[in-house]
Amino acid sequence: MDVTFRIRRYNPDIPGKNKPYWQEFRLADVDPNDRVLELLHRIKWEQDGTLTLRRSCAHGVCGSDAMRINGVNKLACKVLMRDINGSKVQVEPILGLPVIKDLVVDMEPFFGHYREVMPFFVNDEPVPANGRERLQSPDDRAQYDDTTKCILCAACTTSCPSFWANGKYVGPAAIVQAHRFIFDTRDRAAKERLNVLAEPNGVWRCRTIFNCTPACPRGIEVTRAIGEVKLAIQRGTTTGIVDISTIHIKEPT
Amino acid sequence: MTSLVLTLTETLRYRGAVGQWSWVLHRVTGLGVVLFIILHIIDTSWAVFYPDLYVKAIAAYQSPLFTIGEFALVACVVYHAYNGLRIILFDARPLWWRFQQRAAMVVLAATALTLIPVFILMFNHVLKHYSDTPLVLPLGVVLLEQVPFGIGMVLALVAGLALSGLYGAVSGGKEAAPQSSRAERFWWSFMRLSGILIIPLVFGHLAGMHVVQGVFDIQGSHVLERGIAAGLEGGLPAVGANIAQVGVNSSGTAVEFVGDRWNTLVAGVAIWRLYDAGLLALVVVHGFNGLRYVLTDYTMSSPLLRRGMIFTCVIGATILLVLGSGMLVRTIDSTAIEMARNSLCRLYEENHTEVPEVLQCAAETGQ
Ligand code: HEM
Ligand code: FES
Repeated sequence: MDVTFRIRRYNPDIPGKNKPYWQEFRLADVDPNDRVLELLHRIKWEQDGTLTLRRSCAHGVCGSDAMRINGVNKLACKVLMRDINGSKVQVEPILGLPVIKDLVVDMEPFFGHYREVMPFFVNDEPVPANGRERLQSPDDRAQYDDTTKCILCAACTTSCPSFWANGKYVGPAAIVQAHRFIFDTRDRAAKERLNVLAEPNGVWRCRTIFNCTPACPRGIEVTRAIGEVKLAIQRGTTTGIVDISTIHIKEPT
Repeated sequence: MTSLVLTLTETLRYRGAVGQWSWVLHRVTGLGVVLFIILHIIDTSWAVFYPDLYVKAIAAYQSPLFTIGEFALVACVVYHAYNGLRIILFDARPLWWRFQQRAAMVVLAATALTLIPVFILMFNHVLKHYSDTPLVLPLGVVLLEQVPFGIGMVLALVAGLALSGLYGAVSGGKEAAPQSSRAERFWWSFMRLSGILIIPLVFGHLAGMHVVQGVFDIQGSHVLERGIAAGLEGGLPAVGANIAQVGVNSSGTAVEFVGDRWNTLVAGVAIWRLYDAGLLALVVVHGFNGLRYVLTDYTMSSPLLRRGMIFTCVIGATILLVLGSGMLVRTIDSTAIEMARNSLCRLYEENHTEVPEVLQCAAETGQ
């Protein structure tokens, strides 16, 4: 089938073209199983080598290629043509982060928020006597299973109207990352993280809009995670908040 | 400012699910109600402080422009209330997020279901009103009456920004801006708790003032005619007032209507004053904190503007609370009612073909 791409272009270095503009590209012989990422590659390789985008793994693992496809945030490598209604594809950079060129945005503010929540394991207690891992029950592990899946693609954070309005809001992704450690019973820094997230630009900026949940390419229940962090702050405890009976962890096959 | 433009345009362009539109509606309806309560609290306070102005204000409320506004107001409150409950629910039970889309649709459906009978009843009031020969203020007069409110809001904004500038100068003008995480947490809980408390209060208020008795039933010669036709001595009684204690609205003015309600005692307690005090406090604080959320969301990039918005909200809420509690502790006496009657007579003289007999004007105005 034939497909028309409408792409938001921006190149600060070319005089006269340093304002964002739309450009259309036509592609023939497109297979319904082609992914948007491949088609963007075809445009770049066959039609316009200056088209700039970021991707790495091409398999939904690295989180490099989040972009706004037909109006919503997606990973270009995870959207097949057959998932798209019709033969028109509109592609724009994700919102709320400075655009560097075409579809590439500056992720630094996003990672800045990520770092704010101390996204690393904290436990200064002596290691267990046998010198091996700190054990944890499957139920305890289940509490934060969902939020371990984040690949930091920024699709959720840049789908959030609160973040668009206010780039200082830590955003859904940073809260998801904090959730992963806050509800880890082996971690000892939940309090510090909750303090960071209780700041005026922390979780209270969330207006429960639910744009982030469908935006997540990994199916993380983002708004739920944010809600659980809000409850943890309100109640001053991390126990009894995540209902693990609703969490289904796949057995390794 | 750029973030405001970006957010507004991109909110319309981003293909978010129903939750995004629920949020837009929640915001718009909340702001709409805030705008209305600014007018409404200030001019209700005139019932005590400037009875003649209150009569004019209510005459404006009976004009077509405000009738349209009244339908919009009721729709805003109903939607905002139901959607507020949805937000409260999913914040309390994050686990149920899977049902949020359905819940958003339920909110819309429940709003429509509530509004159908309510609008029918309200529309009946409109029909009934225009089947009499009502006093209808011309649009120009109505709009002119609102100009001072516009000026007042601009002044509040200017004062807020000036205070912010001052604060900046004193504190060294750096990032410094008043904010604390404990306050934000408090407000988050307050918005939810107050929302729940407001529901019975505001629904009761709307039911009494807009559905059972419309704004048309509180002032005008037709109020007297209808009362007399019903065999009463004078006008219609005020909804919720005890006729045995306070009598009927025999001047046919909104001032007497308000006084009758506030003077009604149940077991020695002025229940409507308490009711209105509760409504006033909760709605003003909830509404202006909501306004602060909205205004600061779009001014985060400038400490000066952001602080200014906070100061503006504090100024606005303070003025309304002072005026509102000031009016609720005063009494409306016969002098006030007489002033109101004269004012009503003048309105009829200026804007109506004739001054109806029942108002018993001639002697008083004596012009
Ligand atoms: C009738 C019962 C009401 C309920 C249940 C309710 C509920 C809520 C809730 C839960 C929020 C917080 C939204 C958030 O933080 O994400 C909110 C925000 C707000 N409310 Fe209400 N509210 C009610 C009445 C009112 C009234 C009467 C006004 C106007 C005076 C009002 C004005 C606002 C405004 C301006 C916001 C801010 C909206 C935003 O941040 O987007 N609310 N309301
Ligand atoms: S390219 Fe790695 S996630 Fe898409």
